[in-house]
Amino acid sequence: MTKTRDEKVLELYEQLLEIEQRLIPTGLHVFGRPSPPRERGDLLKAIASFDRPEAGLRALPEEFADEAIREFVANGADAAVHCLEQRGLAAETTRPVFALLENVSTKLETNTEIDSLVRALRGEFIEPGPGADIVQNPDILPTGRNTHALNPYGVPSAVAFARGKIVASSLLNRYKEENGRYPEAMALVLWGLDNIKTQGEGVAQALWLLGVRPVRDALNRATDVEVISLEELGRPRIDVVMTVSGIFRDLFSPTVHLLDKAVRLAASLDEPLDENYVRKHVLEQIAQDNCDADEAATRVFSNAPGNYGTNVNFMVMDSQWEREETLGDLFVTRKCFAYGRDSKGQTIEGREARIAMDRALSRVEATYQNIDTFEIGLTDVDHYFEYLGGVSKAVEKRAQARPSIYLSDSLSRDVKIRSLEETVRLETRAKTLNPKWYEGMLQHGFRGVAEIENRVSNTFGWSATADAVDDWIYSEVANTFVFDESMLERLKELNPHSAHALVQRLLEAHGRGYWETDPDVLEKLQEISHDLEDQLEGVA
Amino acid sequence: MRITVLYVGSSLLAPLKNAEREINRAYGLDLRVGAYNFGAPLSDREWQDVDRDLAETDIVFVIHVMDGENASRLVAALDAYKDRHDAVIVINCMPELMRHTRMGRLDVSRIASTGGWIGSRVKRRNGARHGHQYLKLVDRLPGILKFIPTAGALTDAKHYLYLFCYFLQPTPANIQSMLLYALKHYVRDKRLKTVKTAAPQQVRSVAIYHPDATDLFDTFAAYEKWHNAKKKKRLHPDSTLGLLLMRPQVVSKTTKHYDALIRAIENEGLSVVPAIATLMDNREAVSRFFRNGSPRVSQIVSLTGFSFVGGPAMNDSAAAAEFLRELNVPYRSAVSLDTQTIEAWRESPTGLNPVQAGMQIAIPEIDGATEPFIYGGIPVRGQEPAPLEDRCARFARRLKRWNNLRTARRDRVKLAVVLFCFPPNKGNIGTAADLDVFPSVFDLLERLASDGYRVDVPATADELRERLLGGNSEEFGAPANVAYRMPTTEYLRLCPYVRDVEKDWGAAPGSINSFGDDVLIQGVTLGNIFIGVQPTFGFEGDPMRLMMARSGSPHHGFMAFYTYLSKVFNADGVIHFGTHGALEFMPGKQIGLSGECWPDRLIDELPNFYVYSVNNPSEGSIAKRRSYAELISYLTPPIENAGLYRDLAGLKDLVMAYRQSTNENEREKLFEAIETLSRELHF
Repeated sequence: MTKTRDEKVLELYEQLLEIEQRLIPTGLHVFGRPSPPRERGDLLKAIASFDRPEAGLRALPEEFADEAIREFVANGADAAVHCLEQRGLAAETTRPVFALLENVSTKLETNTEIDSLVRALRGEFIEPGPGADIVQNPDILPTGRNTHALNPYGVPSAVAFARGKIVASSLLNRYKEENGRYPEAMALVLWGLDNIKTQGEGVAQALWLLGVRPVRDALNRATDVEVISLEELGRPRIDVVMTVSGIFRDLFSPTVHLLDKAVRLAASLDEPLDENYVRKHVLEQIAQDNCDADEAATRVFSNAPGNYGTNVNFMVMDSQWEREETLGDLFVTRKCFAYGRDSKGQTIEGREARIAMDRALSRVEATYQNIDTFEIGLTDVDHYFEYLGGVSKAVEKRAQARPSIYLSDSLSRDVKIRSLEETVRLETRAKTLNPKWYEGMLQHGFRGVAEIENRVSNTFGWSATADAVDDWIYSEVANTFVFDESMLERLKELNPHSAHALVQRLLEAHGRGYWETDPDVLEKLQEISHDLEDQLEGVA
Repeated sequence: MRITVLYVGSSLLAPLKNAEREINRAYGLDLRVGAYNFGAPLSDREWQDVDRDLAETDIVFVIHVMDGENASRLVAALDAYKDRHDAVIVINCMPELMRHTRMGRLDVSRIASTGGWIGSRVKRRNGARHGHQYLKLVDRLPGILKFIPTAGALTDAKHYLYLFCYFLQPTPANIQSMLLYALKHYVRDKRLKTVKTAAPQQVRSVAIYHPDATDLFDTFAAYEKWHNAKKKKRLHPDSTLGLLLMRPQVVSKTTKHYDALIRAIENEGLSVVPAIATLMDNREAVSRFFRNGSPRVSQIVSLTGFSFVGGPAMNDSAAAAEFLRELNVPYRSAVSLDTQTIEAWRESPTGLNPVQAGMQIAIPEIDGATEPFIYGGIPVRGQEPAPLEDRCARFARRLKRWNNLRTARRDRVKLAVVLFCFPPNKGNIGTAADLDVFPSVFDLLERLASDGYRVDVPATADELRERLLGGNSEEFGAPANVAYRMPTTEYLRLCPYVRDVEKDWGAAPGSINSFGDDVLIQGVTLGNIFIGVQPTFGFEGDPMRLMMARSGSPHHGFMAFYTYLSKVFNADGVIHFGTHGALEFMPGKQIGLSGECWPDRLIDELPNFYVYSVNNPSEGSIAKRRSYAELISYLTPPIENAGLYRDLAGLKDLVMAYRQSTNENEREKLFEAIETLSRELHF
């Protein structure tokens, strides 16, 4: 059935709203300086949009939030409380929210980072503090403290598990909508970053997909798992391949054991094979490879002990590859080390298990990563494409089909699952091509240009690993930063090295077949590239 | 006759083995004591030994077992061998195990409030107050026991409390008495009739210990008097460290690891006040011994492996941070291996096992602890903790460096500020997530100058950048100015690890960051402040190296850079500037490094400050644990809604107009315009 006109417009409207309301960083921080006294309304509104049960705070209702925040910024907390009272909201429920906002505003007006560093240099005590996104946890203020992680045995928290369940269900629903059935196997990327900040939402998602829940011991540590019945689950148990960052492996070593235990528990259940894909695949593999159950149930993979990263990012950044499948193979080479405990209780400390990983990935139909923050987005750093892109490329060869690739925002009111392509478009429109973003960066001159170039290179990483970047994205990048003469002049002036790298990356995108464009566009790019080289030789 | 003891920790094994020997010598009971550390989940093979023992033993002690997996196996075995055991004595365990206590006619519910002390308090808040109560219990219980009748319904309860009293003060004599007492009252054997058990020995709950003294000190004054005479040196806050020791370790006289560390620290010219920690709450010991109004010590080093406030079962980190902030003395937490042997740790590619990593690294960090050093542990065939001499020495020297920072005149302090460059390209010098590094460093330099450091501050942040990127860089084909050319001979002389580097990178100086026979150190020297550029991993143009599952050592350029900082420039401290560099990701153990691990070799003895994004606690924690960094968090940039721009804004206007319009004709035209524009904008 074709969509009606109204439906099409509504869909577009929602997409535009999504871009418009996306929170983006607008510049860089300078150590020791308070954040510039610019518009703080958006930040405050975002902070006020969360329920914070631990602090007894309720989110401001969305329909009144704009007005109340404006009132707060202009006339202070009392005025905002009064304003909401007139909308029928009791002062005692809204006052704590504005007390928090007042506290945040005050703390943002001062900055003691340099004082802290200077105190540290004199051997004084530096107070510990949590690490997180400011919207997620305003307790990160004041900065200038010694950031800590968390007790890994607390993960996943009850809140994280409840939310993990919702996200995992949405993820499965989205896959089902697009494919008419559940995926038999998924590959999840687990990082320390989001699991620290969310107390283990990513971990919870994996457990929920497998159909188990954490059990706590006498010391309130999550050290065991129990089965969620198929009736309660209402769907099959999904086989989950977990590719775990070296950092997660280190910070969450008990959790790694917990995840491994969860897989082995699911595989051991006497259930129909069409309702327990873990068991189905383990039995298949035992038959196929004549291996033991321990080998066949290996699902938690990370780097060799004491090693970090996939190197896929280095390879892409340095253009040191010829065929895309090399990137997926490199991912497996670096990540095929198994962790957990075998059925005899022996700890597995990074056993090289390449065949087990090849087999596990060969059944994967969807790959997924939880993103917890808008401060570190998909194309802000090279780590997202090296992991989610790397594993997807590895699956593509081993399963002989490109998997569906999904991401979710865990830091928003509602759960939103997006495809990789949708996310790249959103990030590009909200940030890369947005004057608010790049002008913010360019205020920082030299470093700003490097930031723009890094973003373009990271976007390119999604072409190399997942072919997830539309032609128009490269065209618009070229139009915005290279073919706009005054812009190009600014970039050359501020940081010719990065300006040159950006042009080179665009040429590489075309050269590798990721960007179809007109010959005259390329010719112009080549010319600009040569000019820049000449300039660099002159100044280098 | 057999006794099996399932315990957690490192203070019981030696007194138990000693008791076995002494009891056999005195009474010829042919007693065998099997003792097993239940701190970490056992493998099947390890469990087989335990099971075999449990099948044949007369008496079982279960002490401090909290691990769920071990506990559930143990519960099954206790049920299975119920008829074999004359008594099962469970102390300070989780409730499920406590209920398995079996001693004559004892009503288990009656002891829950004493022996189950920790387990029953796990979920409660305010460890401080309870900690205090625990100490009172330790001191007062023996006195209370006198008033309990020995006959009748309370007999077994009294026996339990007696055993508990012996356990609370695990002196060698008390542990011997504990075993004898249990045998005498619960095993039928005529040889036991004549056995006499001594009353529980009492040891002070709070005191100062020193290996060179014959007794404990009740007060700081007494310790000071002894110290000044014995060491011929006055205790001065600037040169004195406060150490927190585990009480059972001191009481059971299993202190070789403490003693070695104390001597290593004293070898560095520092003094120590080693206080017996008060288990549940260290604030009391610290308040009593480490301060007198102002602090008497310049650093606090916890050797307890537990949280500062709350003990083993919980942590009140807010209270800890508040207390330490007010005291304003840095807090270190070093680890002795409790639930794995020295050999297991040494051979492990990952280092500290998960149980210790969680309990002894992650939790102390939340209290504000730094310097997570492994300094001792139980050897595979040993019965008590032994020091790791090389680690004690390295740790002591690091502590000395920290003290030096506290006391040195600012104009004599030399600092290295290290910037990053990734991906490798001149345009990326000063990479850091969300941070504009050059203005940041410039502001810092100005502040250091005004604080009395000797620093030549450039005129502007731009000038600073130009000096770093420009200078003589072209001459050497280097991305940044070359501050120093380190001849290979000097590198070989100063760096003890060159041979190991050569295994991966060939003969020094190699091809990265080198020029002729010299290694190039990139940076600029501004008086006593050196601004350097950390070399890269060295993957550029070397795909074969990238393809390796296991990364190699740092290259010569990397190794020489840090050798330069500590041995040529003679930095007193290093500031890594921004999120993040490569040092902390070099190969080695994950947590609990040894002297073979590359990050440990690179950072050497330098106090490490790391300016780090507050939004990245995960990679930041790697820097804390693998390069002993103290993080100084920085704020992320301001955020705003993205808004709509250029044609996107126009598109939204059209969409709004369409949605508001009721005129079908107009809607059709608007729709066409929307379709055209949205296609142009690639929707």
